[in-house]
Amino acid sequence: MTTFVLKRLASLVVLLVVLTAVMFLLQRVSKTDPIVAYLGRGATGPAAAQARHHLGFDRPLIVQYVRYVDDVAHGNLQMSLHTHHPVMDDLKTYLPPTLELLFTALGLSLIGALILGTVSAMRLPGAGLLRLVMVAGAAAPTFLLGQLGVVFFYRRLGWLPATGQTSRNGVPTGPTGFLVLDALFSGDWPLVMDAVKHLVMPAACLAIGPAVAIGRVLRSSLMSSMDADYTRTARSKGLRESAVVLRHALRNAASGPAQMTGLQVGFMFAGIVVVEQIFAWPGLGSYTVGAITNSDFPAIVGVSLVAGAVFVILNAAVDIFQAAADPRVALQ
Amino acid sequence: MSRHDVRPRASEDADEDETEVAVLPDLAALHVMATAEPEPAADVAPVVRLDDVHLTFQRAGRAVPALRGVSLELRPGEIFGLVGESGSGKSVLGMSVLGLLPAAVEVRGEVEVCGADMRTISPGQLRRLRTESLGAVFQDPMTSLNPTMRVGRQMVEACGSKQEAVRLLDAAGVPDPARRLRSYPHELSGGLRQRVMIAMAIAGKPKLVVADEPTTALDVTVQAQILSLLRNLCDELGTAFLLITHDLGVAAQISDRIGVLYGGRLAEVGPAADALERPMHPYTAGLLRSRLTLETDTFEPIRTLRGEPPIPESQPPGCPFGPRCDHRTDECEALLPPLVALTGTDDRATACLRIGAIGDLVAAEGPVAVGVASVRERPTFAGRPAALNLVGVHKHFGGGRHGLRRAAGAHVLRGIDLLVREGEAVALVGESGCGKSTLLRIVAGLAGADGGAVEVGQGARPQMVFQDAGASLTPWLTVGEQIGERLRSEGLSKLQRRARVNDALRLAGLSEDVAAAKAHQLSGGQRQRVGLARAIVVPPEILLCDEPTSALDVSLAATVLNLIGRLRREFDMAVLFVTHDLAAARLVGDRIAVMYLGRIVEDGAAADVVERPAHPYTRALLSAVPEAGVRSVPLKGEPASPHHPPGGCAFHPRCPEALPRCATDEPPFEPSPAFGRPVACWLVPGPDRPPDAAVD
Ligand SMILES: Nc1ncnc2c1ncn2[C@@H]1O[C@H](COP(=O)(O)OP(=O)(O)OP(=O)(O)O)[C@@H](O)[C@H]1O
Ligand code: SF4
Ligand code: SF4
Ligand SMILES: [Mg+2]
Repeated sequence: MTTFVLKRLASLVVLLVVLTAVMFLLQRVSKTDPIVAYLGRGATGPAAAQARHHLGFDRPLIVQYVRYVDDVAHGNLQMSLHTHHPVMDDLKTYLPPTLELLFTALGLSLIGALILGTVSAMRLPGAGLLRLVMVAGAAAPTFLLGQLGVVFFYRRLGWLPATGQTSRNGVPTGPTGFLVLDALFSGDWPLVMDAVKHLVMPAACLAIGPAVAIGRVLRSSLMSSMDADYTRTARSKGLRESAVVLRHALRNAASGPAQMTGLQVGFMFAGIVVVEQIFAWPGLGSYTVGAITNSDFPAIVGVSLVAGAVFVILNAAVDIFQAAADPRVALQ
Repeated sequence: MSRHDVRPRASEDADEDETEVAVLPDLAALHVMATAEPEPAADVAPVVRLDDVHLTFQRAGRAVPALRGVSLELRPGEIFGLVGESGSGKSVLGMSVLGLLPAAVEVRGEVEVCGADMRTISPGQLRRLRTESLGAVFQDPMTSLNPTMRVGRQMVEACGSKQEAVRLLDAAGVPDPARRLRSYPHELSGGLRQRVMIAMAIAGKPKLVVADEPTTALDVTVQAQILSLLRNLCDELGTAFLLITHDLGVAAQISDRIGVLYGGRLAEVGPAADALERPMHPYTAGLLRSRLTLETDTFEPIRTLRGEPPIPESQPPGCPFGPRCDHRTDECEALLPPLVALTGTDDRATACLRIGAIGDLVAAEGPVAVGVASVRERPTFAGRPAALNLVGVHKHFGGGRHGLRRAAGAHVLRGIDLLVREGEAVALVGESGCGKSTLLRIVAGLAGADGGAVEVGQGARPQMVFQDAGASLTPWLTVGEQIGERLRSEGLSKLQRRARVNDALRLAGLSEDVAAAKAHQLSGGQRQRVGLARAIVVPPEILLCDEPTSALDVSLAATVLNLIGRLRREFDMAVLFVTHDLAAARLVGDRIAVMYLGRIVEDGAAADVVERPAHPYTRALLSAVPEAGVRSVPLKGEPASPHHPPGGCAFHPRCPEALPRCATDEPPFEPSPAFGRPVACWLVPGPDRPPDAAVD
């Protein structure tokens, strides 16, 4: 277990190094002159040259790179070119709301997948309808789903708010950075409700596609494990059907869906950018859009590093889960 | 005869009813008196009573009758061997006794298990019945235990407590049972897993254990261990066993009574020894004759049953065995023979319309069990050039690095010397994991050797026939195209090519129409013949066979072995035949080479090796071949893993005759003057193995 965690950490470091290298090269190869981006259009002459020297852009590429990596390693991700804050500070501000959204969506998609998968594998009544609704939902592009949600639940029914993380000002900002949890810790019930309401629609939009994808895998693996020899053995012992399913079939069916979940997390990153735009969610997605439209390379690098780290960590969690579920899977 | 619907149905199947009517001929004409099943000792209630059971599946909208009127009683404390070929319905019968049939199957007739009527039983009662009175052991112990749950927990589910689990594992012969509770199934060997299954099955001292092919997935020496375990448990606990198997030898070895199932009906029932000695049904006799034993005449083709087993969805109207029966009359084509007790015999019944005469008719065809060995010279191959010569071949697998961890490499072949001369057949015998298939793949050029020399003769490239013929055929090409592929380089016209393909098919005993078929349209036996036809369309200098019959039914396996023998003589091909079955090896091979954990331990003339085995392992293999009524003394333990071959003689942990030095020094593989063949054992004196080698 320890070696596994260490190995994954090592691979995380490798990934981050590769990412920085790629981003660094992209930045230098691209037409955008960081000095222009930094000082604004029309920056020419001695001021520009001075800034260039000051920022080190006149050094040989390799020197620039080493300095750059050194900075990154010390947590200095440079200044964002569009917010003019240190990128590190920006990440600290924008990451928690995004993670809150991501984890909620992940939770929702797992619940959805579990319901969809078991109901259709067991051929319980309503399976067909449930599947139809979910598949239709998954087939619709996220932005359409978001717009429909806003029109229906916000304009028509007025049940759910359409934008932001909360309708309040001056909300607590610690200790987790997740508004729902922070509100819980401070015992502010109305705020908890408010935050949950804001969270529901974007998280659901983000969750439906992965839910169907994971649910499908769960369905087929559950069906084959319900047919498996060891399930027959369990029945022949005289176990109750519920024990047969919960103790024997479900655990053996966990591996495929877990892998699918790891994969879906990757897709969720893409979805999050769109969803945050639609619901004006103050998270990394919106920050990224701002960074891209402003050729804000330091910010883009920062976001990429964070996204890569989250992806690697979640997939390591999936692997640990798989190994816990199936003793034949060795953590490597 | 009482008949009931388990699930009420609106309409009855019309065809079914027609056959029903046909079952009721005038029985008086058959010179019989008793009822279908002879009465057991009157005071004991049977553990299972089946009365005219019909089981019908629906497949692709068509009715597939799996059982067609089976009546049977199992007596307390007996081992009942239910024998039948693939698709005869034996597993389905076992499942119906356990109440494990899929919901979609239609059941008619009475199924009574331990006094409970399986038609009306509630889910709760069924669970109680399974917990208290029933146990089950299935074929594949790898898949039948839950891979994600520790053995202990799975045991406790069945027996309630850890102490009891330890006691049961101990009774099932699991060494160090307390420690095994913490193991996962994949950490155990195949034989140990099956012992765990058996321990679970006997939890709570059930009245009946259904064992469906409990030894089919195991090595021969382990099979012998498990069979003797089942017999002992039956004697000690008084539990009845329904032993389902395709292998008459397995059933014969430990059963009190046997029943032979054919086409979803019982052909014959009777005490095992008696029924196998004097079969009263031509099918039983045919099975017995096509079965290979260590006495089978190796100079004559095996006397096989003609034709193939019936396909359940298209059974003939009369006797199911009719199309393959040599004693058929017109009556047989119209009437479904009922299972009737034989007068004047003890406890026997047969389902043949010619019941009065059939015993004599079958006996007149010759003895069933023991072939009379013809006295004839074996051809000699000495002096002919080599078709294959292996010198000191080594092969490693895996090893190297997996991520950051060093994986233990497997040393699969550890210095193989083997010479096969032109026209000679050599059978390579060994248990799973001994490296025999790897060796074959190296000869075929499908894998490379890591050391030593592999010389293959100058003639046409070696051709391979596989165990799973279906998987070795391309599903979307016709048989003709696949056989013709090998002719591509010969620059033949289309017509010539077709003629060659047809020749090959004919030689393999197939009709020319088969050329247009695709693999899935053929039966298992036909596919194996296609594999042979493809191999001999350009006759190779050496034909490589990897357990070509182990996936086939007994009667088909025999025909394929005959075919290999014929083709080999016809084309003067050398054959390297890999098998785990010594009886088949003896039949096919001029020579037998015995392999254990990557080494050849004995190599000599087939008949001689069987009659005078020199190596303790060969002796153990011979005694593990199941024979009626013979309780073998099984070898302990299981083959070690090639990942960690034991030091010294690799066989020493299992060897009943091991000497102290066997644990440290590896015996050389060298000729023994006493046996006239090379042997690798310290007990057998050789040039570098003085007689006193045994002592130090
Ligand atoms: N679940 C099922 N659905 C449809 N047909 C089935 C099913 N189970 C069994 N059958 C059919 O019932 C017949 C008898 O099957 P069964 O499994 O009892 O054969 P068997 O004698 O055990 O053969 P084998 O030696 O191959 O195990 C076969 O034709 C089989 O295809
Ligand atoms: S009933 Fe007829 S066909 Fe069937 S086994 Fe007897 S003799 Fe042969
Ligand atoms: S060398 Fe020793 S252990 Fe090996 S087979 Fe001979 S007697 Fe047994
Ligand atoms: Mg079966």
